[in-house]
Amino acid sequence: MATGPLFRVGQKELYLPNFEIIFKRTPSQPPTSATFLVPLWFSKLDLRDYLYHAYSLTIGASIRSYVQQSRIRQGQTPDPVRPQYKRWHRPRATKRMTVELDRPFVWPAEPESYTPWNKEETKMANEDQMEYQRRQGGDKDALAVPDERRVKMREQARALLEGKQTWRPGGGRMAEGVGMYGRR
Amino acid sequence: MSDFQYPAPERTDVVHVEHPCTATGVPALHLEVSNWLPPLSLRPHSSAMPPCKMHCTSASLLRSTILSSSIYASTLPPAFLLPAFAQTAPFSSTPTHQARKDHNRNRGVSALRHTGIGKHQRLSVRVSALPQPVLDPARRSAVQVDPDHGLWGFFSKERTLISTPEEMNGYGRSWTIQELRGKDWDDLHKLWWTCVKEQNRIATGELERKRLAGEDGMYGDYEASERSKEVKQTMSATRFVLTERWYAYENARVEGMEDEEVDLYADPERGERAYLPKDETEDTFLGSAEGNERVDRTRRIPPPDESRRPSEARV
Repeated sequence: MATGPLFRVGQKELYLPNFEIIFKRTPSQPPTSATFLVPLWFSKLDLRDYLYHAYSLTIGASIRSYVQQSRIRQGQTPDPVRPQYKRWHRPRATKRMTVELDRPFVWPAEPESYTPWNKEETKMANEDQMEYQRRQGGDKDALAVPDERRVKMREQARALLEGKQTWRPGGGRMAEGVGMYGRR
Repeated sequence: MSDFQYPAPERTDVVHVEHPCTATGVPALHLEVSNWLPPLSLRPHSSAMPPCKMHCTSASLLRSTILSSSIYASTLPPAFLLPAFAQTAPFSSTPTHQARKDHNRNRGVSALRHTGIGKHQRLSVRVSALPQPVLDPARRSAVQVDPDHGLWGFFSKERTLISTPEEMNGYGRSWTIQELRGKDWDDLHKLWWTCVKEQNRIATGELERKRLAGEDGMYGDYEASERSKEVKQTMSATRFVLTERWYAYENARVEGMEDEEVDLYADPERGERAYLPKDETEDTFLGSAEGNERVDRTRRIPPPDESRRPSEARV
């Protein structure tokens, strides 16, 4: 399929391009179409020549272009040093182009397992972090004592009452030298 | 028979008006004329009054004439109104229903107004013969993707949707400036485009990985950013080497113009020498007119070679 282009190749010489073209997955579209995220200054002819020269992709006659405006967001910059709630900005718009392919292309299937990416561990860590922050928050006194700690306190009280354990200040840990300030 | 009850007329005269429509087969007009007459639209039809077709202009004229001169009901309309009764063409310019019959079966069928197929309209394909779309994606036939498709350049060698963090971490180091100084322009150009395509690949994978990660996220962004850093360092080194090379070329050109022993206008293909040492020049071209012409110190610095660096080039 090493045929020449079916269109007139542009004359603009671009030696060292310094931008990214992102291939975007669009399951709702047929396999004969492909969508790319392109810079805002990109034109349809630019994308056609770029795909032909860089990826040897001969595309059909139809290219559709769309500029997606961004919603306004709080803060002065997209990545602020500190939150600025009274300042608003609008992030840069994104431009996407959909081309018609002469040969269909289907994206690879999604991975069956996300173990290499530690997806489950990330979720558990997030939940644990959220719970810890809730326990350390401003309303921590209003929260009930966790069940695990309540069971341990009951066992400790029962041991003291039955005489199996003698009371020592600091729970016995300071007497052993492993108190708040002690390091072993 | 009728829903309307009217008081009995005191005096009834039957007026026979000879309408011009009579010649075309329309029955003659019979009107009951009395002292009290309801409007014509309210008057119930009766068997004694056959429906009459007449133009609105004639009807209104006749009605106004009769109603206004009910006292002279027995008399005919005045003579100057007779041309109005003889009028056969309608006053309104709206085409009648007969004018739209152009034997077009698709007349009035609209896709926008959902009028549907007409009663007598016949299509080339029957509805029962139409193919049924497969709504379930799992039952559709698989599309054969060309292994040499150009869009595989946006994926890794394994041609998976996203690369694992181990695969993303499997890279070497960036090219150093010292290594790139020995490369010519073609090699640097190829290396630059390799970096560009690698950046596109990383960005495509990152977009898809963030979509699959969801809110909680998953690993891989650190590996992708580190890999992208190495690519950017290579590109930065390439730009550095090219810039350095350009300054070296520019400085050499200026030096060559200021040097008396160097002739930048010499054409080596025609056997002309660009470098003429001073002692050799004195020996060879002493007193020769050609030598004095070629080493002309009044010439200014020539502009850089335009054919090598087009003005439209975007670096």
